[in-house]
Amino acid sequence: MSGTRGGDERKVSSLRELSPAIEPARDLWPQIEARINEERTTAPGAMAAQPRPLRARAVPLRWLAAAAVVASVALGVWIGRSLLPAARPGAGVESPLSASRGTPATADAPTALDVAYVSDPRYQRDRAALMRSLQARLAALPPPARAKVMASLAAIQGAKQDLENALGKDPGNALLQELLVNTYQDEMRVLTDVHEAGDAGRGI
Amino acid sequence: MTQAQAEDTQIDWEAALVQRACSGDTRAFERLYREHAGRVYGLCLRMTRDVHLAEDCTQETFINAWRALPRFQTRSSLSTWLHRIAVNVSLAKRRKASPVEASLEDEEGPRGALEWTLETPVEVREIEAAIGALPDGARDALVLYALYGYSHGEAAQMLGVAEGTCKAQLHRARKLLRERLNVEVS
Repeated sequence: MSGTRGGDERKVSSLRELSPAIEPARDLWPQIEARINEERTTAPGAMAAQPRPLRARAVPLRWLAAAAVVASVALGVWIGRSLLPAARPGAGVESPLSASRGTPATADAPTALDVAYVSDPRYQRDRAALMRSLQARLAALPPPARAKVMASLAAIQGAKQDLENALGKDPGNALLQELLVNTYQDEMRVLTDVHEAGDAGRGI
Repeated sequence: MTQAQAEDTQIDWEAALVQRACSGDTRAFERLYREHAGRVYGLCLRMTRDVHLAEDCTQETFINAWRALPRFQTRSSLSTWLHRIAVNVSLAKRRKASPVEASLEDEEGPRGALEWTLETPVEVREIEAAIGALPDGARDALVLYALYGYSHGEAAQMLGVAEGTCKAQLHRARKLLRERLNVEVS
């Protein structure tokens, strides 16, 4: 390969020692730049020839991700509305939400929240039992764990209040309903943990 | 700074330049050119064995890279991507320029090559001459595998041949170099 590395008299004992890079004898960039500029300014599809910013490609992906999140939430709500057992009129069970609104949970327009979770008699019974023993259980906990539980329950109570207020203004909002159900579930989880911690004599 | 940290810095720096070049910044693209031109030109020169063709191929490689830059995935290696383009351009230019494959016997090699052994290191220019005298297919495989460090699979993919073909070409190249230089090629 004449002209490749004609002046290199360095000796090597393996091909691995050869450098892959060979600097061209002249600067090739000016011609490359001229071609690029020529294409950008004169070609009919000049805009197409110019690369599109990476940021511009990232935006649709971000929107797709957001759409996927919305779709999954909507699916969850639809499942809650469609598949979970519906409340029967006159069952005589009053949900906490209904109670907070000061209205009985009657037949007209049951929400996913009313029918799916908080109106379940087992939930009502278990929660009442846990609440009754809560103070005794809390007293048995070490002070740091007790403080943690109190803070968690206060935060949950605040979230419930906020969500119920928001639902009072927009009762049909499926996302708020979903969030409220999740908050009730969180409360049950904390209460159960406190109960079990007291039984086992351990901390939270 | 450790080697790994240095590589990370290098990658970050390169990714930033790629992003700027994608937004139309030719200065950023020039810096990428300066960084990679030597290896791209070296590959083109070894594949085409012609300085002017290699210069054309190098320019074509970077112009094609500029056009295709938005499709480049920054997680992969820019140098590998550029080498793929360079191999394609060089193969196309070589086919167009001369469909006749030069054989080892066509080239006038240095006298006394048989005196060299593994224990006697070989001058770079002599090895380069011997590589340049190899048949095209064998030389391509040897350059990508032995000089640029690509695997058999990667080299085969770049050259558009089966991996087995690439291995056979490499075996052939080693055999021919051993005969020519009387050294074991590692």
